[in-house]
Order: sequence, then C-alpha cells, then structure tokens
Amino acid sequence: MKVLLVDDEEELVSTLAERLSFRGVEAKWATDGRDAVDLTEHESFDVVVLDVKMPHLNGIELKKKLERIRPEMKFVFLTGHGSEEDFRIGSAEADRYLAKPLDIDALVATLMEVVKP
Amino acid sequence: MTTANAACWRAVSDEGLRFFGEMSASVSHEIRNKLAVINEKAGLVQDIAVAMKSGRAVDPERLEIQAGKIIDQIRQANRIVGALGRLGHVVDATRTRIDVTGLVGLVAELYGRKASQAEITIETTGPLDGVSLTTNPFLLVDLIGACIDAALPRVDGSRLLAIASEPGGDGAIVRFRHLEGVDDSDVQLGGEASGARAMLAVLGGRMTVDRERGEIIFEVSDCE
Repeated sequence: MKVLLVDDEEELVSTLAERLSFRGVEAKWATDGRDAVDLTEHESFDVVVLDVKMPHLNGIELKKKLERIRPEMKFVFLTGHGSEEDFRIGSAEADRYLAKPLDIDALVATLMEVVKP
Repeated sequence: MTTANAACWRAVSDEGLRFFGEMSASVSHEIRNKLAVINEKAGLVQDIAVAMKSGRAVDPERLEIQAGKIIDQIRQANRIVGALGRLGHVVDATRTRIDVTGLVGLVAELYGRKASQAEITIETTGPLDGVSLTTNPFLLVDLIGACIDAALPRVDGSRLLAIASEPGGDGAIVRFRHLEGVDDSDVQLGGEASGARAMLAVLGGRMTVDRERGEIIFEVSDCE
C-alpha cells in the first residue's frame, strides 16, 4: 500500500512515515498543498492522509485538486482542532476522519479499510 | 453612564472576549499539534526498541535523535503555554505600569503560528531598558494584535514583520515595518462602531500609516 501524508507540521508527517514503514506501509510526505500536487502528478497513491487546515491550500481544496489528478485515490482527513465544524467537514468530505493525536494501529486499520475493494 | 458610554464599553468587552477566544483557540491548536508530534516520536522510539529487541539491525543513534526531538517539542509547547499564561495575567490590573516592548514580544509570540502560516517571521525590537507606560495592558495587547492583523497581509517581499517600540509623544510608539501598499483603510479596525476602535478611544491611542516608509504606526498615551 502506498500512502501520501500531508500536514504542515514536518516533524509529524516525517515521523508518521517512518512509523508506517515499520508496519510495511510505504509512505511519502509533503508539508503543503503545492508539494502534494507535485508528488501526485508524478505518482499515484492508494490513500492520501491530509490535515483539514493547512496554509495556502486547505485540506478540502487540496482533496479536490488531487482528485482531479488521480480520481482513484482515497482520502483520510486529520485535524488538530477537534471542533464540531471540523468534524462535520471531515466526515462529510473524506472517506474517513481521524483526530490528532493519532493511534498508529487505528490509522493502519483505517488505511486497510479504505483501500479494501 | 450614558448610552453612548455603555455601547462603547460593551464593544470593548465583546472585542476583548473575541481576542481572548482567538488566542486561546490558536494556542490550543498549536499545543495539540505539539502533542501529536510527541505522540508519534514516542511511538517511533517504541517501534525502534521493539525492532532492536527482535534482532533487527537498527542504528541506536536513531533513538538519541528522536529523544532529542521530543525534548525540543516539549520546550516549544512549554513556551507557548507560558505565553498563554502571561496573556491570562494581563487582565490582572486594568491600569498598571508595563513595559511596552515586553507586551509586544508576548503578542508576537501568540501570533507566531498565524504569521508562520503566511510564511512571515515576526521580529520585535526595543530599547534595552524597555518602554515604560501606565495603561490598561489588556486593551494594549488587543490593539497590538489588531495592528499585527492589519500588517500581516501587507508584509513586503522580505517576509519579515519588524515591530519596533520606542518612547515617544506622551507615551509610547510602536512601528510595524516592512509593509507595502499600506493606506488609511488598513487602520480603520473594522469601522467607527467596532470594538477595536472603542478600545483605541479608551486607551487614548492613535493609528496612522506612513506610506513612504511602509509602516503602520500605533501611538498610545501614558494615562498616569
């Protein structure tokens, strides 16, 4: 399984990528929408895990852009806010929605579920 | 109290609550992000330890690096919580002697996340012995925040918002520098009836722009 992690907190996405690799999941990461679009133009991912709120391009806008490039990709939203509004947007717009801090086993289980045919 | 006065204080109170809410939400978001990073780093340390126990060749230096990064995240989180605590204590007195440079530094710290999201760095400067002033510190903090809000979209290509405080007029002057395209509309603070405008009136403050030098200038009187 190939996963793209997008969050403006570099330490978070780089560490998550390392943790996923320990669990046999190949993960790449980007810290903003522009880099995520660049990566997606060059390769496809099974799932994109992205923060709802990011500078320049928020998660909802980024998802729409990435879907146009790779319509087959699935999306999991993350949020650090935990507000009602974020929850509403996250659950309505993505295939799954997870709140930070993450439970790595729950994340892996969610990724598996999302890519299940 | 006249009706106009009551309306003014109500606007001040609403604006104060709005500002405090915005700062609390921003700090809470930042702390949650730091906790999320600490959570992953601690998890990675665990993953590395498990891999080593099971005989996998893993460079032990990776553990040392991750532990150092956890300490770094905790320090950053502690600094942010400290700033929120200082903001909380700003309301301890409605009129007191304060150091303007110190308060500017506090607001700059609270706005750090908002600025960095716009890829802007905030730098504050002031005289070594500070800029002493008797005023309402909470209103001053709120108005410094309003000036930063006005300045951020105008920061020039340097991506540096320089805030300099100095003694001047009959109190203190705070200059927001490295701006381009500033005009009078940038210091309207949401119009005559806004809470920020009411705060400015209560403090005896004035906001102007210097188009040529690219500055928003905030002057506040000493009310001693």
